[in-house]
Amino acid sequence: MTNYALLFTLATIGISETVYLIRKRIASERPVCLIGGSCDIVLKSKYNKIFFIHNDILGFLAYIFISTITAFLVIGLEPIFIWNFFLKILITIATLMSLFFTFLQWRVLKAWCFWCLMSALTIWFMGLIILISSNI
Amino acid sequence: MNKTSFHILRVGIAITFLWIGILIFKTPEAWGGYLQPWAVKLLPISIDQAMFGTAILDIIIGFLILTDTLVWLFTLVATLHILTVLTVSGITDITVRDVAILAGLIALTVDSLPNYILTKIKFLKKQNHLDKPMPKLKN
Repeated sequence: MTNYALLFTLATIGISETVYLIRKRIASERPVCLIGGSCDIVLKSKYNKIFFIHNDILGFLAYIFISTITAFLVIGLEPIFIWNFFLKILITIATLMSLFFTFLQWRVLKAWCFWCLMSALTIWFMGLIILISSNI
Repeated sequence: MNKTSFHILRVGIAITFLWIGILIFKTPEAWGGYLQPWAVKLLPISIDQAMFGTAILDIIIGFLILTDTLVWLFTLVATLHILTVLTVSGITDITVRDVAILAGLIALTVDSLPNYILTKIKFLKKQNHLDKPMPKLKN
């Protein structure tokens, strides 16, 4: 239960982050870059889309799915093992993608984006929870 | 309110509403147990149905506050909702948590009120005026 609560909390924090980025992009406004000043370089780079879909939208969808599946698991909606499987797959894919995006910022773009790093940390925490918990 | 603290409070309150909504879905009968007998008698539907309705309302409110959508309106709805909860559940060991949530919701509502409403409220108009920086004195 505690693990689910943590996963859900992290996923909702992720939703609020990605909604903020989506709103700013649609309004053509600069997001507040709390640490460093390279958010614009990263967010407007050619790597900001995958298969013509903006990364912020992909992130938003991933967080929505993770929070929904976690809610299903808390409620005990059957079939539990399928939700568990989807949750693990989703978080694994998201963790790998976050690693790739962090590598892009570090080695290719040579610029750091606060919101992207926050999102990556959120995902990595989720991965850590999945790894260390036995009941998920 | 500082913009960063406003958003931290907003996300925190949203998570609370979403999580409580899910927990009510999990065990509606347990949450229904908090209702005072007089409140149960007033219900035109079963306790479970009322609890499911509350869970759906909590999740909708939580999601809309989380996504920064019409925050003033949905924090106002949430404030009324929490006041109802306080009324129908009576004073218990966990009432103090509802008081904290209520205080946070009132703070969010007041801080996110749109200008066209703000200008109609005399007290807040004065408060808003006081929040403005003092004009520089001329030498």
